[in-house]
Amino acid sequence: MTARALLVLTLGTLPAQAETPAVPRFEAFIGGPEHSFTGEWQYMVGGGVAAFDCSGDGRPELFMAGGTTPASLWRNDSTPGKLAFTPLDRAETALDGVTGAWPLDIDSDGITDLAVLRVGENHLLRGLGDCRFEPANALWGFDGGDAWSTAFAATWEAGSAFPTLAIGNYIDRAEEAFPWGSCTDNWLHRGTATGFAPPLALTPSYCSLSMLFTDWNRSGRPSLRVSNDREYYKGGQEQLWHLDPGASPRLYTPDEGWQRLRIWGMGIAGSDLDGDGYPEFYLTSMADNKLQVLAQPGPEALPRYRDDAFPRGAHAQRPYTGGDVRPSTAWHPEFADVNNDGRADLFVAKGNVSAMPDFAADDPNNLLLQRADGTFYEAGAEAGVASMKVARGGAVTDLDGDGWLDLVVVNRNAPVEIWRNTGTGAPGTWIALRPEQPAPNRDAVNGWVEVRTEGKTQRQEITVGGGHGGGQLGPRHFGLGTASEAEVRVIWPDGTAGDWMTLTAGQVWRLPRDAPPSR
Amino acid sequence: MFQRFVAILLLCAGLALPGSARAAEVSAAEVMTGWYRLILELVRHTPTYSPPVAARAFGYLGVTVWEVEAATSGRGDTLAGQLNGLSPRPELSAGLDPAIAMQGAMARAVPYFFGNTGPTGQRAMAAMDKRLTERLGAGSDATLVAESLAAGQRIADHIIAWSESDGGAKVENMGFPETYVLTAGPAHWVPTSAIVQQQKPLLPDWGRNRPFAMPEGNACPLPAPPAYSEAPGSAFHAEAQEVYDTSRSLTPEQLAIARFWSDDPMLSPTPPGHWLTILLDQAEAANLSDDRLAEALARLGIGMGDAFIGCWHSKFEFDLVRPVTYIRRVIDPTWEPQLITPPFPEYPSGHSTLSGAAAEVMTAIFGEDHAFDDSTHEDDGLPARHFADFRAAAQEAAVSRLYGGIHFRAAIERGLAQGACIAGHANALRMRQ
Repeated sequence: MTARALLVLTLGTLPAQAETPAVPRFEAFIGGPEHSFTGEWQYMVGGGVAAFDCSGDGRPELFMAGGTTPASLWRNDSTPGKLAFTPLDRAETALDGVTGAWPLDIDSDGITDLAVLRVGENHLLRGLGDCRFEPANALWGFDGGDAWSTAFAATWEAGSAFPTLAIGNYIDRAEEAFPWGSCTDNWLHRGTATGFAPPLALTPSYCSLSMLFTDWNRSGRPSLRVSNDREYYKGGQEQLWHLDPGASPRLYTPDEGWQRLRIWGMGIAGSDLDGDGYPEFYLTSMADNKLQVLAQPGPEALPRYRDDAFPRGAHAQRPYTGGDVRPSTAWHPEFADVNNDGRADLFVAKGNVSAMPDFAADDPNNLLLQRADGTFYEAGAEAGVASMKVARGGAVTDLDGDGWLDLVVVNRNAPVEIWRNTGTGAPGTWIALRPEQPAPNRDAVNGWVEVRTEGKTQRQEITVGGGHGGGQLGPRHFGLGTASEAEVRVIWPDGTAGDWMTLTAGQVWRLPRDAPPSR
Repeated sequence: MFQRFVAILLLCAGLALPGSARAAEVSAAEVMTGWYRLILELVRHTPTYSPPVAARAFGYLGVTVWEVEAATSGRGDTLAGQLNGLSPRPELSAGLDPAIAMQGAMARAVPYFFGNTGPTGQRAMAAMDKRLTERLGAGSDATLVAESLAAGQRIADHIIAWSESDGGAKVENMGFPETYVLTAGPAHWVPTSAIVQQQKPLLPDWGRNRPFAMPEGNACPLPAPPAYSEAPGSAFHAEAQEVYDTSRSLTPEQLAIARFWSDDPMLSPTPPGHWLTILLDQAEAANLSDDRLAEALARLGIGMGDAFIGCWHSKFEFDLVRPVTYIRRVIDPTWEPQLITPPFPEYPSGHSTLSGAAAEVMTAIFGEDHAFDDSTHEDDGLPARHFADFRAAAQEAAVSRLYGGIHFRAAIERGLAQGACIAGHANALRMRQ
């Protein structure tokens, strides 16, 4: 260097600095469920949690993937301000080789079922009530296959009684010595009147670790986003599939606006952060994560996204505490309003793959609180959730019914961690909404829930899939700031917009399609 | 690559070996080839291995295989005293098995130079070591096996110790510094991506590393690039206009060329790995003997290692702005290049310097007018390309950066010339009597 004038570029100058959001305080739950996701090679990925109410009391139970340890199901006995769980000794759910699980009402009987992914045959478990399940692969004609399954998504195609399931598969596990380039086919199990058609191979497949059916362009016809792990594919990239009625699935092409992106795709989360009616997507990876914003939203939108992670402070690139300066490894992402200020926040589970020296060993989870200007504030340490355990899956959900979203994190070869959200110390009202419609698709998957307060509209798409190794089914939580009531409506999966209704804050509301709301 | 590697594994896992014919069945060349095929995957899956870091590893591994070959065959000149800072290798006893000694060296050196690879790569290295060692040891005298393995390990240890003082042994945060002061002024590099790591340039001190064969990092200096100017008609503006105009009228063939030579880190074996793949393919086709393969691996590794040192020295001497920055500032704020712009200064083009060097080394090994098909990226779905000779391949690699919108013409043409100069040092090494 010569005596040129110099400019110091420091991290943090690009993201706009605004007010500090109210930080919720999380209290570690001591004496909670004893469970770990264990194993080595075939369990370096996966390890999620399914959160859903199977006991009928409105509180979400937890089904946790175990890898070489049997999966476990925990009944939620929590009361507001106090967490409590009881293990349920159920042979039908104590499966081994489980990498992940997602809840959904497959047969639309009003009782939540479970899709369980495994290293080996995948299982659909039919809910019987009172947290009992029965194996249902044969009943529904579901071919569980024999693969290393790692990603899941579901939607209901028009006219189909049963959902269409997408299952992402990883490496050919027979290629242990040279796994690179050995990605196995993903599958599409299309719903029929009574169950499932034989699976279609979603070729090309690129070792997917997360999938999500989403109506990204508000066309009324969800597409399948697939996030793929570039560590193992050759010639691959992120994918978006058309799913047109009666037609074979086909990939979006560059001519249709799809842009090639190659990352260590680990997880997908979606949320309409900017209120434009179209979801933004957060893609977890290693070293740098993506916050994708639709470049030109509108009815004729092309699937072109710009990456706003860095300018909005959501890159979560390296540990923010603990002194390990190496890049991070990110897994389960989830948008949720943890401080009830009316803005979606972002949780990201972190942890080294397995002794990868280029990446942080002490890699705390992120809790990124969204500011009013759309940038994010890292609050993991202040909030008390900056665990250095090696995380994989997670769930941000109201475990004790107090209106503050709690946190569950499944760790690899380490105990699960649960934190209770004790609030911010400031007022923060909320509302939780559960749309219901007649069969099929009782939970209105790929419909939208909208909440309006003081002229601002929050919006969530009801999806099954995404994350890493698990997901939730239950009421959609919205923070309301200080509002005592909110206008709400549902846009049903067929595109029909329900009427706006004014509902009281601080309640969980059922929203039947053809009946008044009820608590 | 996958198919090639599977073939190597099958070789390594051979069954029902005749007890006395081991040495005739597995040559030192096969040991080298097997490990190098694995290395080309490890490069792709070890995030530290940006092109300069990969080239450095190839350099040290090349020296390792040559010193083992020369020591066990007794027919080659050591590189000690010729390469900067390399002292004489350990004395080895006579009568060692060259292939087993090569295995000892590679099984020691590869895990060292690729220690940052993840669990899958670690498992693959262990599998390679186990299978090759079992195969080589079957039917051989146990004492000879042990002594040969140990001899190879001693040479590897000697090269490893030498490598640790070159300035490039420790790479943190994938090569992006914690702090860096950007040079002020519109002519100079600024970050071009929204990736937070890349707000600093990659390996800004790499040009200060100790070279292998050339005397110092600036042994092949370059003239300054055209003077920065935003005035239409200026030489600099004209270069940018050429990049812009080319991108607007890119032919399918030009786009294919840009993608073929893109060689992105962590998505390919990187540019030096691309040239190493060409070498391995041509060596197999020509059935190169042990000593000729070891020599080729050494010269190419040395030449490529030095190419990145020389290139990086110039990059941070001139610290020139990238086309994407200039074109958006001066010509079209909406412009998008075809390729991802690498996170470091523009002049000269790294792939051009590297390819200029590699082509001269390869020409020295295989001769002028050596036509070949380059199938490096077949597994990634890119078809093979045919070249009349190595220089033609280098020229295409260089101009691919203009097609891709990441380099100006001066960086390409002068990069090739710089590479040829650097290769002269590698080609001048005395290796075989």
